[in-house]
Amino acid sequence: MIDRAVARPVPKTSTYVDTAPFWEAAKRGKLVLQFCKDTNQFQHYPRPVSIFTGSRNLEWREVSGTGVIYACTVIRVPGPGLEGRLPLSVATVELDEGVRILGNIVDTDPDRVSIGQRVEVTWDRLSEDVRYPAFRIL
Amino acid sequence: MAKKRDIVIAGYSETPVEFKSGRSAYDFGGEALAKLLQSTGIPKSEIDGMAVAAPLSECPNPFFPMYMAEALGLSPKWLNYSGTGGCSATGGIARAASAIRDGLCETVVVLCADAPSTAWRANYGAYRGEFQEPVGVQGPPASFGLLMSRYHHQYGIKSEALGKIAVTQREHALHNENALAKFKTPLTMEDYFNSRVIADPLRLLDCVMFCDGANAFLVTSEKRARALGLRKMVFPTAYAEITNLHGDRSCPDITETGFSAIAPLIYKQSGLSARDIRMFQPYDDFTIAVMMQFEDFGFCERGQGSDFTLATDLSRTGTLPLNTGGGQISAGQPGLASGGLNLAEAVRQMFGEGGGRQVKDPKNALVTGIGVIPFARNWGTSAALILEA
Repeated sequence: MIDRAVARPVPKTSTYVDTAPFWEAAKRGKLVLQFCKDTNQFQHYPRPVSIFTGSRNLEWREVSGTGVIYACTVIRVPGPGLEGRLPLSVATVELDEGVRILGNIVDTDPDRVSIGQRVEVTWDRLSEDVRYPAFRIL
Repeated sequence: MAKKRDIVIAGYSETPVEFKSGRSAYDFGGEALAKLLQSTGIPKSEIDGMAVAAPLSECPNPFFPMYMAEALGLSPKWLNYSGTGGCSATGGIARAASAIRDGLCETVVVLCADAPSTAWRANYGAYRGEFQEPVGVQGPPASFGLLMSRYHHQYGIKSEALGKIAVTQREHALHNENALAKFKTPLTMEDYFNSRVIADPLRLLDCVMFCDGANAFLVTSEKRARALGLRKMVFPTAYAEITNLHGDRSCPDITETGFSAIAPLIYKQSGLSARDIRMFQPYDDFTIAVMMQFEDFGFCERGQGSDFTLATDLSRTGTLPLNTGGGQISAGQPGLASGGLNLAEAVRQMFGEGGGRQVKDPKNALVTGIGVIPFARNWGTSAALILEA
């Protein structure tokens, strides 16, 4: 696992639902996502209810962090917090647990990233103590 | 309104009232829904409609429609507040028709007005700050870059097809007196290919530009319209919408859009088929959305959008006139009054008021709307309206 030092804006957390477990786990280099205990399925982003049943019988569980690139693009225009990061590789990653997450693909020329590539989670450092999941090609 | 006994309230739920709870409207809403499902025992999949109140905690001005009525000196007996963005115009027509049929009101103005290029007060909020913006997905272009990449992976995109949509619509905008002045210059295929890639493979000329503007539509019964001495009218003969297609799946095929679910509904309601559509005025925030709608509405097979686009005369004199006023891409997107631009052009054409861009025999039109860009999918709400003479 690589820890990458990049000064980036730190988002306000738990604004809509309690996301503290995600951020706390990230500090330890673990990716946890919301899990519906009734149907044994993951969902992401975090919701107030299970998207499968509408119940609140949810918990946070660690995922493998490995998956495949489902869609990808390269951001080429400036935006807040993107200073020094362009061109920026962005992908929709379908994790092996059957859930999708948006992430940056690091350590690879953005023009060489393509759908179908296997990836694993790695960690960007937003600040001294805040880490954020990114992915690298396996 | 005649006394009716056909509709019931068959369940309710309520959360405890809290002060400074630290929770959000989403979280309270989730608790209320979970309790409602629990107390009624019905599965979530039974729910196919939803009404939501505009909350103080999520909307800069949740009383906007009331202030608008006050500003205009109107005293409506029915007031509808749309939260479906680009579906607000077409959806407003359908909701007005229902209210009129139910006797709640007689004559409705469906009004869409926005000025985001002057004042941007919106906060899309939700998950975006934590799970989308940090990775650089900060607006619709990045989301559409992702969508296009997936579509290209599954079906292939011919760039010249998207270019043809941009070039054709620009030609139409040249004849539109209301189009943004900046766009009233011809566009060539060379210009399209020279335009900057902003989120691969999306180019600048694939996109709309946020502007300011408004549109309004008068909806009433045919009888009332004739009594008022109105002689030009079109009939909305079919309407359907769907929000958050496959909302209960974590990994849906994102090249499958809500339009594929509603197209059969509007064709069934109207008795028309794709070959009967005289003109197509689809919501056009991005060229790929237009191309995908050719497929979803059955003008061609799924995945054949590029070939269909290249093989079809989409000009106002062609076999399938497309966004004859230039659409949003070439007339400018008036904020969330956006969908009304495509709708106004359809009504204008069917009234025979198209001037230099008039379509011959404007007997019907298919108009669509798209609302909001969700997390890692295609778009939030899809709406379709058929107008007939």
